Amino acid sequence: MTTTLITDASIAWKLLNGIFISYKPAGISSRIMRSTIQKLLCKELNEMHVRPPTTYVCIEGETNKPMTVSTRPSFADNILAAGPRYQEKDIKLFCPIMPGKDTSGVVVTGIGKGTKIAYKLLESKTTRHYKLKGTLGQATNNYFISGKIVEKSTYKHVRRHMIDKICASMQSSHQRKMFEQCGVDMESQAAFELAVQGPIRPATSKVPVLYSIKCIDFESPEFTLEIVCLNEYEDYLKTLIHELGMKLHTTATCTQIQCFQYGLFNVEHALLKKHWKLEHIIHNIQECQTILDNNEYLLHQKSASLLQQTNSE
Amino acid sequence: MIGLIRSCSSALIKRSKKGASVKKPKGPKQKLKTLPEFQYPVSEASDRRLYVWGLAEHGALGLAISTKGKNNIAYTHNPRRLSFGERHKVVDLACGYGFTAFGVHSNDTNIVYGCGINTDSQLGYHVSDEKNKSGIIIDPRPVTLPLKESSTRVVGLAAGRAHLLILTDEGVFTLGNNGYGQCGRPIINNENYTKSKVVHHIPNIKGDRITAVSAGQDHSILLTEKGEVYAFGWGADGQTGLAHYRNEFKPSLVKGDLAGQNIIKVACVADCVLALSDKGKVFGWGNSEYGQLPVQGDTHQINIATEIHECQDLGHIVDIATGGSFCMILNNTGNVYVWGYGILGLGPQVQRVLKPTLIPSTLFGLNAYETNSQVSKIYCGISHLSAVTRTGDLYTWGNNKFGCLGLGHENNQFFPLKVAVGAQVQKVGCGVDHTIAICKPFV
Repeated sequence: MTTTLITDASIAWKLLNGIFISYKPAGISSRIMRSTIQKLLCKELNEMHVRPPTTYVCIEGETNKPMTVSTRPSFADNILAAGPRYQEKDIKLFCPIMPGKDTSGVVVTGIGKGTKIAYKLLESKTTRHYKLKGTLGQATNNYFISGKIVEKSTYKHVRRHMIDKICASMQSSHQRKMFEQCGVDMESQAAFELAVQGPIRPATSKVPVLYSIKCIDFESPEFTLEIVCLNEYEDYLKTLIHELGMKLHTTATCTQIQCFQYGLFNVEHALLKKHWKLEHIIHNIQECQTILDNNEYLLHQKSASLLQQTNSE
Repeated sequence: MIGLIRSCSSALIKRSKKGASVKKPKGPKQKLKTLPEFQYPVSEASDRRLYVWGLAEHGALGLAISTKGKNNIAYTHNPRRLSFGERHKVVDLACGYGFTAFGVHSNDTNIVYGCGINTDSQLGYHVSDEKNKSGIIIDPRPVTLPLKESSTRVVGLAAGRAHLLILTDEGVFTLGNNGYGQCGRPIINNENYTKSKVVHHIPNIKGDRITAVSAGQDHSILLTEKGEVYAFGWGADGQTGLAHYRNEFKPSLVKGDLAGQNIIKVACVADCVLALSDKGKVFGWGNSEYGQLPVQGDTHQINIATEIHECQDLGHIVDIATGGSFCMILNNTGNVYVWGYGILGLGPQVQRVLKPTLIPSTLFGLNAYETNSQVSKIYCGISHLSAVTRTGDLYTWGNNKFGCLGLGHENNQFFPLKVAVGAQVQKVGCGVDHTIAICKPFV
């Protein structure tokens, strides 16, 4: 890729159409992240060479005599009067999934005309991959480590294989729910044919569906789960850890939630907070566009089957 | 439990007080908040749980369900935990036609418990039966057996329409209806089976130890240590495989294609029998009204063991099961094949299949995310089917009479679906309209 220095804000503005991936740190809400990006973009755009004020044509003099015509920069269009050229409200941002405050990880954002692409991405129900960290032996009032501890329990009996078994059981139970949520009559031939295909997308966007839940690390009392899901929300993921704790005959609290993949976009593509800059965002938009162009199914799902396209690659 | 928590919490408080005294804070003594540390019970390796579902009216579930469903009939379409499993070490079970027998490990001679219909004394005699007019046992109660030693263990159980076979270290004990000789004793005309105290004992067959028992509707089959099959009872459809259609009360050797084979399992629920050899060959005899067996001509019965050649190409068969109108086999790679008539698990459009047909493995949870799911055991009721995977998940499908599939509703299920049981399933017993699972708790 050839790099050219853009000095004109209007050229940069035209490039800000598409989707980009940012890495949301835990502790700030998605809304704040969105407005931060808006502020930072505005600041950078305004620092560039911006459009000069429009010219104001003055026709002066007495009306019964020849009048003088002169032009000068419009005071009304002056930055000092009209405000900065690029303002926060001008930058349209849309996130298909707005992770909660305690979640960190990949956030897809549509900017400008890309908001429509981001909306299509939401509609096509692309799976999210999470890493959940939990700790055994305590339960808090908000299911997260930040809450007040309300119960303590022993956890010495918990072994890795117990977690594995419960995860396997949870996963197969979710598969059953997935068939029930697929939107067709369970007694019909259509339901059978869908079920044979394997994992399928739910018809609604209300009920969380887990496709995979695996324990990838266990070092008592800490453990890490890796899950693939749809329609999830932060509290649901927190209660999942809590539920696992109860099934292990102890208590568990979620300590960390990280979304490391959204469809084909993963942490590799995500822009860290220090990279929330015009230059990086424009590069990222181009990078994402090539991914979207190469994988058309990301935006246009033709089948309810979740893995059909991924397998045919 | 509460006492334990209390002692635990007091210990913690004590420790915290010690720590505080060392530091000696100068200001006003701050009260340390110490939460009690709970200790939830953890099961032992030998602990098992029992989950039951289906029709409860006949008492075969071992629990009384007070809420009545449709037509004022008591049933449950969700698995319910049976507290009997907590009080006894259940190792085996058999579901008959409206009754259940549990084999338990115990220190006394009560090694088999039974509940359900007892009209033909298939669950034995008890003094309380004199007052019990309904002939139904709601709570599991011991089946009295004439055992010589108290150390005798139960090895296998099998239940038919109204008879029960109990295999112990001392041999087979048979109870219940003997109208066709299915108990292995001479048929007595007009014998009264209610409140009967008769328990027949078959110690061995020609000196050979009996290793397994199975029971059809009104016939019984024994397996010896040599891998031979002995059958007795009702033979009208050839289900005894003795080359005739008469009733036979004496355990008699099944010949035909079985000669020289080492049979490791015989499966039977109604009147079609499948047998499996150690080499993975499948044999069948009995009723073939629904095309379960390769019959010649117009007949619908086979009275002699016949090898089912269609199963040869399907790999090494490791498990077999038969229902009322269908058969199911499992090979060593975890593929499940079905054939016959009814709801087979191949969708609502497939009613009848004559050749063994594969049920797609994706229906048993195999997909890109879960590559480890493999069926390890299969079971059949009269009209419902079930499979247990290596991970201990139970899948059921078929006719959902009184919710016997345990899926939370009474609609028929046309493909395998997981039953929400909160433990690893180890063994399943499928009756006519009830199902019971022995499970191992996760923790």
